[in-house]
Amino acid sequence: MTMPVRILVVDDEQHIRNSLATWFREEGYDVGVAASGKDALAAVAREGTNILLVDIKMPGMDGLELQRKVRELAPDATIIIMTAYASVETAVQALKEGAYDYIVKPFDPEAVSRLVRKAAERYSLLAENRALRERIAGASPALITSGSPAMAKVIELVDQVAPTDTNVLITGESGTGKELVAHLIHAKSTRRFGPFVVENCGALAEGVLESELFGHERGAFTGAVGRHRGKIEMANEGTLFLDEIGDVPPKVQVDLLRVVQERELKRVGGSETIKVDFRLVTATHRDLEAEVAAGRFRDDFYFRINVFQIPLPPLRERSGDVPALAEHFLQQFATQMNRRISGFSQDAMAALMTYPWPGNVRELANAIERAVVLCRGDRIEASHFPFAGPPASADHSLAAIEEAHIRQMLAACSYNVAQAARELDIDRVTLYNKMKKFGIERP
Amino acid sequence: MNVRLLALGDVPPRLAETVLAELPRPYVGGEIGRLAVSLERCYDRTRAQVDAACLIEQVPQPEPGWLLLGLTGVDLFMPALTYVFGISHLGGRRGIVSWFRLHPDGKGPDAASVLVRRITTEVVHESGHAMGLVHCVVPDCAMHRSLWPEGVDLKRPDYCPACLATLNASL
Repeated sequence: MTMPVRILVVDDEQHIRNSLATWFREEGYDVGVAASGKDALAAVAREGTNILLVDIKMPGMDGLELQRKVRELAPDATIIIMTAYASVETAVQALKEGAYDYIVKPFDPEAVSRLVRKAAERYSLLAENRALRERIAGASPALITSGSPAMAKVIELVDQVAPTDTNVLITGESGTGKELVAHLIHAKSTRRFGPFVVENCGALAEGVLESELFGHERGAFTGAVGRHRGKIEMANEGTLFLDEIGDVPPKVQVDLLRVVQERELKRVGGSETIKVDFRLVTATHRDLEAEVAAGRFRDDFYFRINVFQIPLPPLRERSGDVPALAEHFLQQFATQMNRRISGFSQDAMAALMTYPWPGNVRELANAIERAVVLCRGDRIEASHFPFAGPPASADHSLAAIEEAHIRQMLAACSYNVAQAARELDIDRVTLYNKMKKFGIERP
Repeated sequence: MNVRLLALGDVPPRLAETVLAELPRPYVGGEIGRLAVSLERCYDRTRAQVDAACLIEQVPQPEPGWLLLGLTGVDLFMPALTYVFGISHLGGRRGIVSWFRLHPDGKGPDAASVLVRRITTEVVHESGHAMGLVHCVVPDCAMHRSLWPEGVDLKRPDYCPACLATLNASL
């Protein structure tokens, strides 16, 4: 049994140190010994230690003083105090100062084994917790970090606004990854250990949306058989993400405005005022300014939610991201379906690059998932995509077909213009001119 | 690996022979001997127990290819612990097993066979430590830690495949 837990036995009595070291080495722990507090501190600083078994009575630096110094040096270390009956009161003092537990000499083998095993489990949980926190803090889903300048700007905005409590409005077409960006804001905020609560406001009727957001009391309406906490309450100390905020009916806009301003609410059918503390992130595919101008969206609510706006570009404006995103989804779905698919054929990649992706990243993900289902070889072919073959655009003009063909060849040649020109049997200058004409840029 | 079982003081007739015959692979040969040790030197009057760490120092260094295992009926302790069933030098091919705390409740032939099986299992356990094995999570592996006599009954006097592989690799 190999355990990555390091134990340090600190005792001025050699036979105690040695017998405990023998005992725990047989358990598979990495065990060190120290004869004094000074040696122990040096060992902790030099090698790092997860669990310290510390004798409370030692000449020079005693166990209590050592504990205080270890706390400064290694705050995560677990300290177990070893004591004789005579010094139990001091051991209790050590507990008050943060020791994990104390054990009276001589130890019952079962008790000391169980205690150290529990301490080792605690250490493992702390380490796992820390790793998860770091992973959350550094989380940048591949979908939105594929490297294009447009998405780099989005990430920059996220990094700027995430640590604040500012309301954020994310705008963009359907399928551009608005919820992912909202999640990233939450993950990089100080509220990341609180809840991330999502409500899709576009999918619900007014009454249902009210109840979902604000909760309701028993008997508030027919069918309200019990008290129900709303999404706003559930987001307390976390982030509330309201998707399709542009679809919220005017009455609910008023109620939401009050909650956003006052940070308190009343459940539907209730009289109690409930304090709430949440960060609001909203998203919409609509042009809210136009909605305000048309009188369908309240301007005061718009100004309240639109403190910091993050626009997400559609996938067709960042076609350079398509290969990385496609590879990401291929890996994801191939793993899920236990398929060995090494990549895309040139034709398949060209098809992905030239398709305009009206459904954005969501459509790309769906297309790759479908292709993985259909694929019987080790590469995705163009024929696995529903849009491959005839030009995807409804525009059948010669210019549209020429543009699509040029885009396809450029993608197939990894945007090597000279090579694409040879394939197209035209000279490089002509190809550059056509790229300029069609607004094609190298990624 | 050859095993020499050493009687440290009085050992019941045929106990050592029975244990030796039951030892699993990779212990391929063995013999039984007697070692004159000073229990008095390691005896703690306050605790009325024998210090295992002191006693094992009286077991000599083994010659190459041999593992030395002492058998004793005295109550062993380690300075930090109230009792132990045995002790060994991890990877040092020396160990001791005491049957003092391994006696089952009751008497009769069944109790005798339970005791022999427990002693054999703990000899296999300490031999494993003496060969460098640490405790194992497999419940019926001889290298699983037992802290009370009934716990020894849950184990087999043999190693799990993983421990056996480790052991063979160390030979």
